Amino acid sequence: MNTTGKTCQQNLIGEMGKRWVFLFLLLEFAYFSISASGYFSFDTVQMILFYGTEIFLLASAELFVIITGGIDLSVGYVLGFATVISSKLMVVFASLGISPIGCILISIVITLVIGLIPGFVNGVLVAKLRIPPFIATFSMLGITQGISELLMQGIPAKNLPILAGSIGNGYLLYIVPGQALSFFHRPDVPRGVRVYEIIPNVVVFAFLFIAVFAFILKRMRFGQHLYAIGGNIDAAARAGINVRKNLVAVYMLSSFFASLAGIIYVMKYITGKADAGAGFLLDAIAAVVIGGASMFGGSGTVWRTILGCFVIAVLETGLRMMGTPTFDKYILVGVILIFTVLIECFFSNFKK
Amino acid sequence: MKKTIVILLAGLFTLGIGTLPIASGESKASADGKITLLFMPGVADPFYTTMEKGVRAKAAELGVDVIVAEYPKSWGPEAQVPILEATAARMKFDAILIAPTSNDALIAPLKKLYNKGMEIITVDTFLGDGDYSKKSTYSFPLTYIGSDNELGGKLMAEKLAAMVGEKGKVFCEATNPDASSVADRVKGFKAGIAEFPEMELVGVEWCQDVQQVAQEQTLAALQKNKDIVGIFGTNVYSAQGSYQAVVNAGLTGAIKICSWDATQELIGALKKGQVDLVLAQKPAEIGALGVEWAVKFLKDKSVNVPKKIIPGFEFFTKENVNDPAMEQYIYK
Amino acid sequence: MRTSELSSRPGFTQTTIGRTVGRNWALFFLIFMVIVFAFTGSGFFEIANFQNIIHLSSTSILLAAAETFVIITGGIDLSVGFVMGLSSALAARIMVILSTTALPVPWIIILGSLAGLVISLIPGFISGTLVARFKVPPFIATMGMWGICNGITLRLCHGFFPIAGLPAALPELGNGYLIYIHPGKSITFFQKPEYLADNQIRELIRLIPFSFILITVVILILWFILHRHRFGQHTYAIGDNVDAAIRAGIDVNRHLVKIYMLSSFLAGLAGVYNVFQTGIGNYTTFSAMYELFAVAAVVIGGASLAGGKGRILGSFVGVLVLAVLKNGLAISGVEPFVRYIAVGVLLIVAVTIDQLFPDLF
Repeated sequence: MNTTGKTCQQNLIGEMGKRWVFLFLLLEFAYFSISASGYFSFDTVQMILFYGTEIFLLASAELFVIITGGIDLSVGYVLGFATVISSKLMVVFASLGISPIGCILISIVITLVIGLIPGFVNGVLVAKLRIPPFIATFSMLGITQGISELLMQGIPAKNLPILAGSIGNGYLLYIVPGQALSFFHRPDVPRGVRVYEIIPNVVVFAFLFIAVFAFILKRMRFGQHLYAIGGNIDAAARAGINVRKNLVAVYMLSSFFASLAGIIYVMKYITGKADAGAGFLLDAIAAVVIGGASMFGGSGTVWRTILGCFVIAVLETGLRMMGTPTFDKYILVGVILIFTVLIECFFSNFKK
Repeated sequence: MKKTIVILLAGLFTLGIGTLPIASGESKASADGKITLLFMPGVADPFYTTMEKGVRAKAAELGVDVIVAEYPKSWGPEAQVPILEATAARMKFDAILIAPTSNDALIAPLKKLYNKGMEIITVDTFLGDGDYSKKSTYSFPLTYIGSDNELGGKLMAEKLAAMVGEKGKVFCEATNPDASSVADRVKGFKAGIAEFPEMELVGVEWCQDVQQVAQEQTLAALQKNKDIVGIFGTNVYSAQGSYQAVVNAGLTGAIKICSWDATQELIGALKKGQVDLVLAQKPAEIGALGVEWAVKFLKDKSVNVPKKIIPGFEFFTKENVNDPAMEQYIYK
Repeated sequence: MRTSELSSRPGFTQTTIGRTVGRNWALFFLIFMVIVFAFTGSGFFEIANFQNIIHLSSTSILLAAAETFVIITGGIDLSVGFVMGLSSALAARIMVILSTTALPVPWIIILGSLAGLVISLIPGFISGTLVARFKVPPFIATMGMWGICNGITLRLCHGFFPIAGLPAALPELGNGYLIYIHPGKSITFFQKPEYLADNQIRELIRLIPFSFILITVVILILWFILHRHRFGQHTYAIGDNVDAAIRAGIDVNRHLVKIYMLSSFLAGLAGVYNVFQTGIGNYTTFSAMYELFAVAAVVIGGASLAGGKGRILGSFVGVLVLAVLKNGLAISGVEPFVRYIAVGVLLIVAVTIDQLFPDLF
């Protein structure tokens, strides 16, 4: 029996298991680079980042809650709620004659504050009143949807400050080869001239927040407490962790991230509507699970969750650029998602 | 265990190879200078599937290539724009036929594609206020081809009023207030009903494109107001749900039902007497017109393209439903 | 669900819901709401309305029943909504194809329905195998199935067209009632009296929809399986503690596959029944979120997402709570979107009261 060889092999497979999601992402990217024309480019990566921002934020929001063993179904409609509030506020402030930058900033601050409310209610219901997270956040889903629809009255906000759109769709750096280089402001060029746009503003904005909270989760005591609560809530309480306070904070954090995503939505699409985030919910949870978190709590990291988001986004974009017919795409996404996780599970089971 | 890994990796490999031909269904880029159009539907529903058929038929007739983007899962820029960008990144299309899912949100991404040298035609819905003839930030599309939803709603109200003798309670089953086209239909219908003093609109419900919900809501409305005489279903799902609710309630014949969108299903219901009036937009014609004008303009840039083309509606009733001339307006 | 984690980590929800279950707050809440709506909404407290509610909830009830079994084992089945669409579309497509042959109508209907039911076992088998043998988290396994079923369904529908052209007998069966009474004139069974003119339709009283019979039979069978049969005991055992279940000699993998197949089959039944109810083959729209509402109903009915808890009648009550809330608020004249808020608030209030005053009931 060659025992060393076996451990070596086991180690290798163990490593593969740990890095599988990343590995799979590379495989995906390589595959699409070969088979989809125009896929292998800086623009594609930027596009994936740009359109992924909402999902990145929602998945991070969901991750915090899932680590504690809960679930937050309301993030999608809290996003919608935030889009409606911030777009309406911007219009109101603009009509009051406040400068565009002022009304954008004020609206963002107010929206983020209001956006904490659904999370606070969820947190109190779950932590203090011990209502199952599924019911609490399911009810909140309906409530936020109803309130946003009532605020909207079927009329999307019009005439938002033009500045909002140009920030949301803008880039840090523009280069016109051989002619111009400018920061934040798109140079005026005739139609057909190629402008290289580098790093969308909203991506920087989103990743700033994600990085801060990834740090908190990993290095700060609050983060450690969340894992402890998710691991074993009674043990956490015995160890002197204020479980209730932490849980309320987690749901508020989740709501905060969702509102942040809502604000980014408004800046990108210069409109707001109640169901803006409805389609993101399942993808966000799926990203968390692909990233290796357990739905029963206690595990998961921000970094791996973002990888999970990328796995989905790269796949979707790739299939679109290959021109896969709609129905085949639905099937392929399903098959490939199962396959990714299947292999991941295979590796982690093998290790034991 | 080694064997299992080999099997799994082999599986992955075959999967990759196997999906290649399916996945790259129609990615033949036109290298030979042939005109290539992109059709970007608004949402996954029969209306745009029918429009796609019209687009494809016309394109085949004129000998141009057309690529159809993925159907967005829901109505909204957050679903449509990523698909548009990803699909448009494949190659430089000569023109894009798109149903914008938001009047404002689509201006920036479409402008970007326009700046890259692609012509834009908006079908069914429009950018800004839909008036491209005056200069504005959204006046760059070639033309808008679509139907006037508000007018359609108003016409429905008038026809329904005529059917029920211009008096009584009516009910409206709609889908989603966030979808501008549907919201306009409801607006038109409200305005239309308001013109008849003896008629009353007792409620507007929103079913979020779920037939089951439309059924539940209509039945509840029928229970609340037992003297409802007419129902307007504003799109495929709401129309199906509302007429089926009437069937569930056993009130077929006692309540007049007007439905928007002429799917085969709704035409079948009309033949059975479960629906009384079906409005057909002309998705196939809209699509075909889009292709026609795009090609005309691309071949000769001096062609004067009308900035707004409204093909209008057709109405199916029990009398004309078997008329072969009407057959072409059924969505399929 | 990684089975080992289930056993080592009881999770937060288990402790909270553990206290909720056993006292049937949902049932009390349901009765209370029925009484309230009886006063606030004219036309609510009528036999016709209750029949409507049950009739239209029948597919939701089947989906919730499907979800109950999976949730008891600590899993979740997100594919139910689209399996329902798949079997509905397949049954309808087969019926349309058979209609072109000389086959008699009853055979067309039977063969079509059977095809729909049989196909629905496949997604369940696949996701069950993935979950049981390959330890794929149920969330991903069934979400993958979600996309696969949907893609196939839409192929069957040739795009986004509901499948029409089915035998006319279908909706008559699906929407039929056992007894029709035309007060003072006639009583007929199974079929409404022939002589009715359009203006007399509103006078007709109908009792006991066929869907009610179907639901009763299915619920009884499932109740028996879950609470009076070894299958049910094993299901609870797996949900409580997988390791203990294995030690007790239960073939957990096999049982899990069966559970997912049962879930999928019930979703298929809902799909086939949907063809009867509507007379067309419906694909499932994305905004339907059937799976979310089914899970919500099951959780309202007292189940725990951590597994080991849940009752078939509880889930039944859970569906009715949601349906009655929506229907009652609508009939009471609450505006559409205020209703969304009201449903959420009422649910929260009900659970809160239950938590604050555990000895109330």
